[in-house]
Amino acid sequence: MRNRTFWLGFFGTLLLVGLGWWAWDRFRPYAFHGTVLQSNEPAPDFTLMSADGPVSLSDFRGKIVLLYFGYTFCPDVCPTTLTELKRAMELLGEDADQVQVIMVSVDPERDTPEKIQEYVEYFWPTFIGVTGTPEQIAEVATQYGIYYEKREVPGATGYLMDHTATVTVIDRDGYVKLIFPFGTPGEDIAADLKYLIEH
Amino acid sequence: MKRSLGFVLTLFALLALAACSGSKAEGPKIVIENAWGRPSPKVATAGAFYMTIRNEGSEDDALIGADSDACGTIELHESYMKEGGAMGMRPVPGGKIVIPAGETVELKMGGLHIMCIDKQIDFQPGTKVKLILHFEKSGDIPIEVEIRNPMK
Repeated sequence: MRNRTFWLGFFGTLLLVGLGWWAWDRFRPYAFHGTVLQSNEPAPDFTLMSADGPVSLSDFRGKIVLLYFGYTFCPDVCPTTLTELKRAMELLGEDADQVQVIMVSVDPERDTPEKIQEYVEYFWPTFIGVTGTPEQIAEVATQYGIYYEKREVPGATGYLMDHTATVTVIDRDGYVKLIFPFGTPGEDIAADLKYLIEH
Repeated sequence: MKRSLGFVLTLFALLALAACSGSKAEGPKIVIENAWGRPSPKVATAGAFYMTIRNEGSEDDALIGADSDACGTIELHESYMKEGGAMGMRPVPGGKIVIPAGETVELKMGGLHIMCIDKQIDFQPGTKVKLILHFEKSGDIPIEVEIRNPMK
């Protein structure tokens, strides 16, 4: 009799623990790798020039847009980020067509639409590069909280651009959802995008 | 017979001594490892080389520049995070990268790098680029840089 009570209690506890574990695992909120932003306003629309004509953010409603600001003369920081984005696209496999990477040049003086397009395509065929007049670029960068500054340096480079090297994620409904800081691994980017695609 | 054995032993001891004092380097001793460059499209006029530089000697040295037929100009640069989180790039302060005695300095993505300005050749994976590194004390060290995709 006492023995039966003991075993009943034992298995009962075991069952409860198991159920609790399952429920926690099933319903816990997904923890994003990137910084989550809650925006009340849709991401500001913009139209800039690509090698194939004008490109607007609103053209990609229904897709997840990854917005990155950089320049082609940048040999270290920009290729590092674009390589991580390429890695993320590889990991997404078939879901990669749900994602559009747009790189905005912060160096419109040197980057023509053709030049920035050739640059981004080298990393992934569907990446789009855009540029515009210095005024247009300044407006878009300000809207997205992107800082950039031309800095003259001694030597052969002439000038370099300092710039915010984060990646801004705009969800399918056109809201800014996530920010990936510089150095976020492609694996983490892919995991977050996968979650956004599936939910 | 005995005398010649003694002679050989003495000679051997002397040689061993010479070898020892020879390897006990005075001054810097630079070892370059894992030199690589990132593949980049033709349209990118600048490229970057990365490597590990170890100083096994007893004296500090510094990388002061480099030359290559593959680049119009070469400068030593570093990427760094500015206040507020923006990334900047600048020529290394003082124009050199100090390699302290007994220490290892990494030239790596998002940090120190050798910037190849005005690329003269296509940086395709598999390409080998000949590079001559200029050190303050060790002088010129020729190396070969492999163009390949970054490894984790």
